[in-house]
Amino acid sequence: MQKVTRREFLKLAGTAAGIIGLESAAVGCQVAGQVGGAGPQPAPEIPMLGIWPFTGAFADVGPVLDRGMSLALEEWSYKVIGRPIKYVKRDDETKADTATRRVEEAIETEGVKYVIGPWSSGVALAVSEVAKRRKVLHFFSGGTEDISGKRCHRYSFQWAAHAYTAADTVVKTFLRENPGAKRWYLLIADYAFGWSLEKYLKLVGEKYGVQVIGSDRHPLGEREFSGYVSKAVGARPDVVAMVNFGQDAIQAVRTFYNFGWQPKQPLIMSWSAGVEELVQLEPEMRENVWVGTNFYYTIDTPVAREFVKRYRQKYNEPPGYAPAAAYGMTRLVLRAIEKARSAEVPDVIQALEGWEGEDLLGKMSIDPRTHQTLRPYFFLRCKKKADMKDQWDFADLIGIGDTPQPRELNECQDIGPL
Amino acid sequence: MGHAKVAKLRPQLGPIIPWVLLGVVVLILPDLMRTTVATEVWIFAILALAFNLLLGYTGLLSFGQATFFGAGAYTAGLLLIHQRVHPLVALAAAALAGGLVAALVGYLCIRRVGLYFIMLTFAFNLMAYFIVYQASSITGGVDGLPGVPRPPVNLQVISWDIRPGVSYYLFVSLIFLACALALKRVVDSPFGLVLQAIRENEARAAALGYNTSAFKRLAFVISGAFSGLAGALYGMLFGIVPIDTIYWVTSGNVVFMTLIGGTSSFFGPVIGAIFFIWLAETISVRWERWPLLFGLVFVLVIFFFRGGFVEVWRRLQALLPRPGRKLEPDRGPTKD
Amino acid sequence: MENLIPTLTVQVFNGLVVGMLYALIGIGLTLILGLLDIPNFAHGALYALGAYLLVQILGMTGSFWLGLLIAPIVVFILSMILERLMIRPLYPVGTNYVLLFTFAVSVIVQELIIILWGPVGFSVLPPTMLAGSVELGLFSYPRYHLFVMFVSVAVIFALWLLLERTRYGAIMRAGIENKTMVSALGIDVYRLFTVGFGLGAYLAALAGVLIAPIRGLTPYMGVDILPFAFVIVALGGLGNIIGAIAAGLIIGVTQTLTTQFWPQGSTITIFAVMALILLTRPQGLFGAR
Repeated sequence: MQKVTRREFLKLAGTAAGIIGLESAAVGCQVAGQVGGAGPQPAPEIPMLGIWPFTGAFADVGPVLDRGMSLALEEWSYKVIGRPIKYVKRDDETKADTATRRVEEAIETEGVKYVIGPWSSGVALAVSEVAKRRKVLHFFSGGTEDISGKRCHRYSFQWAAHAYTAADTVVKTFLRENPGAKRWYLLIADYAFGWSLEKYLKLVGEKYGVQVIGSDRHPLGEREFSGYVSKAVGARPDVVAMVNFGQDAIQAVRTFYNFGWQPKQPLIMSWSAGVEELVQLEPEMRENVWVGTNFYYTIDTPVAREFVKRYRQKYNEPPGYAPAAAYGMTRLVLRAIEKARSAEVPDVIQALEGWEGEDLLGKMSIDPRTHQTLRPYFFLRCKKKADMKDQWDFADLIGIGDTPQPRELNECQDIGPL
Repeated sequence: MGHAKVAKLRPQLGPIIPWVLLGVVVLILPDLMRTTVATEVWIFAILALAFNLLLGYTGLLSFGQATFFGAGAYTAGLLLIHQRVHPLVALAAAALAGGLVAALVGYLCIRRVGLYFIMLTFAFNLMAYFIVYQASSITGGVDGLPGVPRPPVNLQVISWDIRPGVSYYLFVSLIFLACALALKRVVDSPFGLVLQAIRENEARAAALGYNTSAFKRLAFVISGAFSGLAGALYGMLFGIVPIDTIYWVTSGNVVFMTLIGGTSSFFGPVIGAIFFIWLAETISVRWERWPLLFGLVFVLVIFFFRGGFVEVWRRLQALLPRPGRKLEPDRGPTKD
Repeated sequence: MENLIPTLTVQVFNGLVVGMLYALIGIGLTLILGLLDIPNFAHGALYALGAYLLVQILGMTGSFWLGLLIAPIVVFILSMILERLMIRPLYPVGTNYVLLFTFAVSVIVQELIIILWGPVGFSVLPPTMLAGSVELGLFSYPRYHLFVMFVSVAVIFALWLLLERTRYGAIMRAGIENKTMVSALGIDVYRLFTVGFGLGAYLAALAGVLIAPIRGLTPYMGVDILPFAFVIVALGGLGNIIGAIAAGLIIGVTQTLTTQFWPQGSTITIFAVMALILLTRPQGLFGAR
């Protein structure tokens, strides 16, 4: 929608006055409808929006997400099917309302049809609503299972592994390395993402003979973990598995270390950003920490090798899950545009649905029924300080799992029409 | 203070001028910024005006205005989602919810003065936030309450579709004007004059036989009702009630936009809301570290436009032939 | 259940450690509030600045101890300059503008931290001699946490000596009680304000330094702590130092004990306790009036 000119606006204002006088109201509605529904002029360039957090709780992640998306676009030389790409980026401030407003704004003023991001689940669910309403393609990577679950629709796609896949990989691989460690204590972030992974950890755990001896939920943004740690330690479990993210997770690992849990006993970060979180911890704190993640930079696929090489050359550090997700999502959108030979949103959505191929993580595909990307999840064991080859050598990749969520557990009943 | 007398002496046109200006601003604002942002401006203008009834007119610095804003937003959101009510019914319910919550908070806080009052309103705001956070099966918790519809405004004879952005802008600005008029009536009424007397000297007002606590409580309820109404409009704007509507940072923002606009004039908070939202929106797309500039602009305002934008307006006005004396006293509210 | 007693003891210990840190922050804030009559919104930012300066000094010299000594002093000096040059001219204009100004300062400092040290947080290890745990009979406890408790007690005691046993302290207390009287005695109240603001900032920065190995650093650590600081000040009574200590400990212990029984509610309980106490004792635990 173009900006409303003053004349149109005054006309509307007049109409509104008319409504009160019960005159020309129908005309008013018509005009309003026209203004609201008018699309942007078809531009030769394709504007793509990266909606990232540059301020607020995830301010540290915004810049690296931006890097990942830029790298993908650079790889295509900012051009696809012969048309130039315009990279539009906006700060979502990690707030649902701000993100909604800025995405709407980018759609209206820049004519954006592809939205990639944001980073946190709550914000993403809001952006997903905008995508549905404004019929733009939305690609997101994050912990909520709702995007490809009970709030699925035709315009949103999920890049991150499903919580079920993650839970299965974590439990299976950890028990393979520590067959005796069956008494688990869970520490869960108290919101939708935490609950769904908790649910699957318990479900999958049962299958593998895990006994969950205790489970505590902490509020989002908790900074004082000494109480939780003392309680968990007091229960004498074999292992503590955490489902939390960002500063909450980092602070919890730090506190467990301060209270002498690691390195003697194992601690699992079930859903970690990998590099972005591990770099904030000292090597001593990471010893005997096990990490489930959506990406690690030693993944051995041709695309990942090339991506990691270029990323390290440019930024002097390896990419973590965040830049990899931004890169991976942008790639998939670009590849779908190429496959569809069209930049029209419905064509690209159809190209993505049921897509299968080799990409960043190896063999990947998209479930047309749920818009969930079917892909591997990774499990790492952190290295001892003495074994680290350089400051970025955090961990060994010890397990890969790709068990999809069983169909009967999925809550996406109908992905809906275009 | 002789307000009534001054008002009588004023030339007939005097009081109309600001309203005409306001009408012009409503019409040109979508030219200056995007429609959603302009819509947000008027929503926050309602909130700031409601807040200033407490700060500017009664001398109560409520640091928990988001409690009522959020109460209204969630009430309207839930009614619109589950009951598909008429938008005006949703607004009325939101105002009622905001007023009720304010009555409760006011009942508990109003006798405390100064910083204790600030801290109590702040504490209740944080409590309200965590209640919403915990009741996630109803409120959606930290992910917010999604899927708030904007059904047509059905007025018997005609039906006005407020789904398009511009129509909704119009709808919100009309409601804003109605709220502003209503609040102006409140502050100019005998009731409003008693509030100002309480602000100036509560002991004296009490000595004159006014039950000052009752007056303050009523001011609180009125302010809460308008805040709740603003919250409902906010939820309908984005189709979602984000948990930030009830977060203390929103309370803080209202305080700061009101102070920037100036508390000593009725329209000051409106100007503050326009400036605050416009500034945040304009600079945030240009530089990732925009809050730095935001802070610096604040410092500039504090040092060079003390008294907020109202001060600038007064300086401009001093250059023009005077339309009449200001109704409001020139000094800001005092602390406790 | 058989280990409930040791667990509860540990929880109380946890509460006391974090409570002492809350107390340090709260004392600084309450001092500024009592003396200058301003709710210092920049308090969290000064706390964060202390922690980041520690990391800077640690990086340059490798010594935690040097950082512990110097970082708060740097903040002390910077904030006195800030008060003298920027806040003092605002006193005649009114509390609201000082409040607005401290808010602006908090935003500016936070963004400067991001620009200077980057948006990504990091961890600090306690100095080697304080690493590990101490056996305390029923349980073992991190040595650094005990050190923090010890330092906080020492600093608070030193502050008490300063306020109760020195002439300048007496003036400062009198300033909190009655500013007009102090200026009538021919004492430069404005200089008192400057020193008081610096002292409050020093305590905030010290808390930031001490907490760094426990909670690490992020640019938003100041925003995270601010609500707690205000809760403590209100609970303890405005300008009341004993009150701030008591409130800090109460909040700390409440927080960790709630974690034991109702972890989801660990934050909401704090604000419920605050509301409850303020409703029954509106002047705070130790406030006059």
